[in-house]
This record gives sequence, structure tokens and C-alpha cells, in this order.
Amino acid sequence: MAKWFSSLLKVHIDFKTSDTFFPTIVIWVLLSLLVLIFLVHGIPYLRDLRSGKRRLTLSLPHLDKLRFFGTLVLTVAYFLLMDYVGKFFPNTGLGFLFVSIPFIFVLSLLYAHRVDRRKLVAISLNALIAPGVAWYVLAKLFNISLP
Amino acid sequence: MEHFFGLSITFFLMIPVGVLIGILFGAVPGMTATMAVAVCLPLTYALNLNQALALLLGLYVGGISGGLVPAILINIPGTPSSIATTFDGYPMTVNGEGEKALKVGIVSSLFGGLFSAMVLLFFAPALADVAIKFSYVEKFLVILFALTVIASLSRNMLGGVFSGVLGVLVSLIGAYDINLGGNGEYRLMLPFMEKYLQDGFSLLPVLIGLFGLATILEEAANGVPEGSAGDAVGRLQPAKFSLRVFKGQAINLIRSSSIGTFVGMLPGVGGSAASILSYTQGKNFSKESSKWGTGIPDGVIASEASNNGLTGGALIPLLSLGIPGDSTTAVLIGAFTLQGIQVGPLFIGENPSTWHTMMLALLLSNLVMFVIMFFSIKYIAKVITVPKYILDPIIIMMCVVGAYAINYGVMFDVWTLLIFGLFGYLGQKIGIEIAPFIIGFILGKSAEIYFVKSLESFGTLSIFFTKSPIAMFLWVLILLSLAFPIYVKVKTAKRNEGRSTGGP
Repeated sequence: MAKWFSSLLKVHIDFKTSDTFFPTIVIWVLLSLLVLIFLVHGIPYLRDLRSGKRRLTLSLPHLDKLRFFGTLVLTVAYFLLMDYVGKFFPNTGLGFLFVSIPFIFVLSLLYAHRVDRRKLVAISLNALIAPGVAWYVLAKLFNISLP
Repeated sequence: MEHFFGLSITFFLMIPVGVLIGILFGAVPGMTATMAVAVCLPLTYALNLNQALALLLGLYVGGISGGLVPAILINIPGTPSSIATTFDGYPMTVNGEGEKALKVGIVSSLFGGLFSAMVLLFFAPALADVAIKFSYVEKFLVILFALTVIASLSRNMLGGVFSGVLGVLVSLIGAYDINLGGNGEYRLMLPFMEKYLQDGFSLLPVLIGLFGLATILEEAANGVPEGSAGDAVGRLQPAKFSLRVFKGQAINLIRSSSIGTFVGMLPGVGGSAASILSYTQGKNFSKESSKWGTGIPDGVIASEASNNGLTGGALIPLLSLGIPGDSTTAVLIGAFTLQGIQVGPLFIGENPSTWHTMMLALLLSNLVMFVIMFFSIKYIAKVITVPKYILDPIIIMMCVVGAYAINYGVMFDVWTLLIFGLFGYLGQKIGIEIAPFIIGFILGKSAEIYFVKSLESFGTLSIFFTKSPIAMFLWVLILLSLAFPIYVKVKTAKRNEGRSTGGP
């Protein structure tokens, strides 16, 4: 009995395939956790759905679509352009500087409510100064690589 | 004391700089100490280790402390760890005692911070001495224990475990590192990703995405509301402050600091838990528990002493075991790696001067925090009036700098930032918990090595139970950590049952 038990615990790991040994275990643990979560939380939820206690809502409540998706689009454009522009000025960080200024300006405009003259001045100044300072301190003083 | 010589002026300059930036981050609702550390990481690329530590610890202490400002003035916790400060702090402001509340909070923060620094000073080396004898088997069990503790203290136990294990899985993406005894094969990805993901996702872009970009996305989704915080700051009346407020509060201070330090030691359990736990304990022990919540200093003391107690506590497992105690210390791991320092049981013994410098920086950070906040709180309070449409774009820009510069200019790291920013935002919506995820992510690769190498050399699973008395003891701890939440659940269920069946 004891011998049978200890042979059950024996493990041999082939070095060639050892890269998948641990990930496989982790994936199985994750899958069993998913099943467990479904049993504990999913089934009562479905029961509530069927009995009409809860309704299936797919819409996200309180999502400011313009600002959320605007942020995503601007951020992707920011990353792409930064890389692109940076290639014209290698190792100077100027791609970062030139693209950050319009990015910060537009993003601030997107976030601000009821833009008036005063706000516009503050936003413009910030869009010029913040990337300027960041670029000067990091790229010039500290020699940190920027796009 | 000879270790303290040779520290540059920059070192002593970095502490106030870090503390001040940290306080400002902490004071702006929605920005946290973790974010402060993550966003300021690029600044440390140009510093040496000691200076970087001074800056980062300053940011940590300042960030945790700054959260009390909006908590007290506008009833919004500046960081999650100051959540219980609002319970009594804001009512004090309403009663016209705003400045008194702020100063009570600041003094309590100082006490909590110094208390936990002392515990760290004596406890971390002792724990490291034990941990130094650990073989791969015990090291694996310690990681397992860390994950079960996270799980048992999560709001939703299953969700917490799932997030932790998911973090482990994500950390395994990449080649199985030959330097660590792996076979160099790529796994968990499609062929076209091999070019980018040889070493997996870099830690810092992941952290900056989860704690920086995700927060901004969350704000954008909420429409970046503009508040009227200016009124509250204008309403602040100057008040004479005397330490007499603290008469009879010694036990409250010590209890709250101890709770904070202890919670800090538990991996993945953040400041909000420390703050709330300490507040409820303070209320339970108080003779006048009915007054709590109406605006008495006791509540502010309980919350603020505990959340600063967190700082030293969270550094204990980091420096003795290599396991971060909270999300901010997780970012600190990244900063250490950057400086070529491996934190773990050997850290204190092999780097005594760094260890002493750290303690000095932590101590000074707390003192500087006190001086800056106590004497200029009125001006600092104004930061909560700086609009988000100015701050948020700057944060995104700094996130990009941090991610890009970490590996000397890899654009993929910037995309990693976006991937994990989105993951952090969406994940929280479906119940993924970020703190367990990040700790799983940090420990995953080591867990694999410890587990696989133990099995390769011993060839049987039983080694995890029979290797040493320490291994058996760790199993007891693991079982206890799993049994604890079940015990609590059964107990509360029984109590509720008693109530619903018409109990007394």
C-alpha cells in the first residue's frame, strides 16, 4: 500500500519538454478554478436570471464613451506617431517631444468640460511646458533614451 | 554608523523631492503612492542605487501620507489606504476642525511610520536569517503560502486565487530561461510573437500599465468629472494645535500602528484593509464607540497610524523573502532589479550598507514628511484643486517615458503598457484583482524554477512534505490560511441565521 502510494507521487520530468511541465499544471489549476467559480457564482446568477430576479445587462453603465474611446484612439496614435517621428531624429528624443505636445493638448481638450478662454490658455501652456520640461530633464540632463 | 558616510548631497536632496512629489500624488484623488513610484521610475535611471532608494522611499511614504488631505477635506480618500480617514476626518471638517484633523492625521502618520520602521529594522534581518537556510522546496512553499494568504484575504476568495494564478501564467510567457536551468524553448505564445516576447513581458511596463494607465482609463470612462474642491480648501480655518489631543491615545496609536505593520507584511493586502481593520478595532475597543464617525480625533488616529504602519511592514517580506507586501513594494522590486540588486534572503547580509541606507532613507522620509506636511499643509491642500484635464495627460506621458526607457528604448514595452493598462481596466470590471495578479506575476517564474528543479532532483512529490521541519510548518501555515476565511464565513453565516430566526 505504502509502496503503491509512493510510486503514485513519483514524477519524471523530461528535460526536452520541461518547458511545458509547469505551465500545463498552472493552466489546469486555472481551468479548475474557472469551473469552481462557475459553480459558486455562475449557477446562482443563472438561477436568478431564469427566475427573473436579475436581468441580463450588457451595456456598461456610466461609461463616458467619447472620453474613454477618445483616450484609447489618441493613445494608440500617440505611440505610433512617436515611433514614426522619432525615426527622423534618432537618439535625440525629439520624436517624443514633438508628438507629446499635440497629444497633451488634444487630450486635455477632450477631458475638460466647458472650455473657456482661461482654460484654453492653461491647457495650451501645459501642453507646451510639461513635455518640454520632461524632455529637457530626462533626455538632456539625465541622458535617458526617449523615442 | 560608518555606513552613513559617503552618501552624497543628492541622496539627502532626493528624500524631500520624493516625499513632496509623493504627497502631491497621494493628495490628488485617483492617484496613489503606487502610481507615484511607477511614474517617477524613469527619474531613477539616472541615479545610483542609494539616491534611487531615497527617492523611491520618499515617494512611498509621501504617497501614503498625502491621502489624508482630500479624505479629511472633501470626503474622498486620496489613496485607498486613507479610506477610513474619511469616517471621522470629514465630519471634523464639517464641524470646523479641518486643520486640527489634518494635523492629528499627520502626527499619527509619523508615529505609524516610525513604529513600522523599527519593526522592520529588527524583524527583517531575523526573518532573513531563517529564510537563508531555505532550499528550493521551502522557497516554493513560501510562494504558495503567499498566494494562499492573498486569496484568503481577498474580497472574493476564488477571484483572488484566480487572479494570482493568472499572474503566474502570464509571467511564464516567453522562453524557458537557459540561465536558470531551463531548456530555452518558447511557450504560451504564437510564433510571430517570439521576436518580442523572448524574455516575456517586462515587469515595469506591466506595473506602470496596471497602476498608471489603467487608472487614467478608469477616469476617462467616468467622464473626468470636475469637482468643486476649491471651496473646502478656502474654508480651512486656522486652528491652534496642541499635542494634548493625543492624551489617552497611546494604546490607540500603538494598536493601530501594529495592525498596519502586520497587514503590510501580508502579501497583496493593501492599505485599505489596514485602514478599515484598524478603524473597526479602534471602535470596538473604545469606551465611547458611539462617538466614532461623528468627528473625533480617535478615528483619524486609528486610520492614519495604521496606513503609515503599512510602509515598514510591507518592506519586511520584500527584503527578507523577496516577496512584495503590497503593490507599491512590488514596483520597488522593479526598481531594485533595475539597479542590479536581487532582493531575497541574501539581500541584507550581502548588502549591509544598502540595508542601512534604506533604513536611514525610510526614517528620514518619515521625518521630512512630517515637517513638510505639518508646516505647509494649507498650501499642499491646494493641489486637490488642480484640474484632472491638466494632470491626466501628463501622467500618460510619464508612463510612456517609464516604459520606453526601461530597456533603453524598446517600443514593444510601450505597447505592453497599453496592453496591461487595458487589462487592468477591463479586468477589474470582471472581478480580476490587481494586487494578487501582480504578485503572482512577480513570483511566477521563480515558482516554476523552484518547483521543477525540486522535482527534477528528488523525483517525487512527497519531497514537498518531508524535506524539512520548516516545510511541514509551512504546510501548516498554508492550511491555516485556507481554513481561516472558511471559518469566518461559517461564523458570520451562523450569526446571521441566529438573527433571522428571531434571536435576541
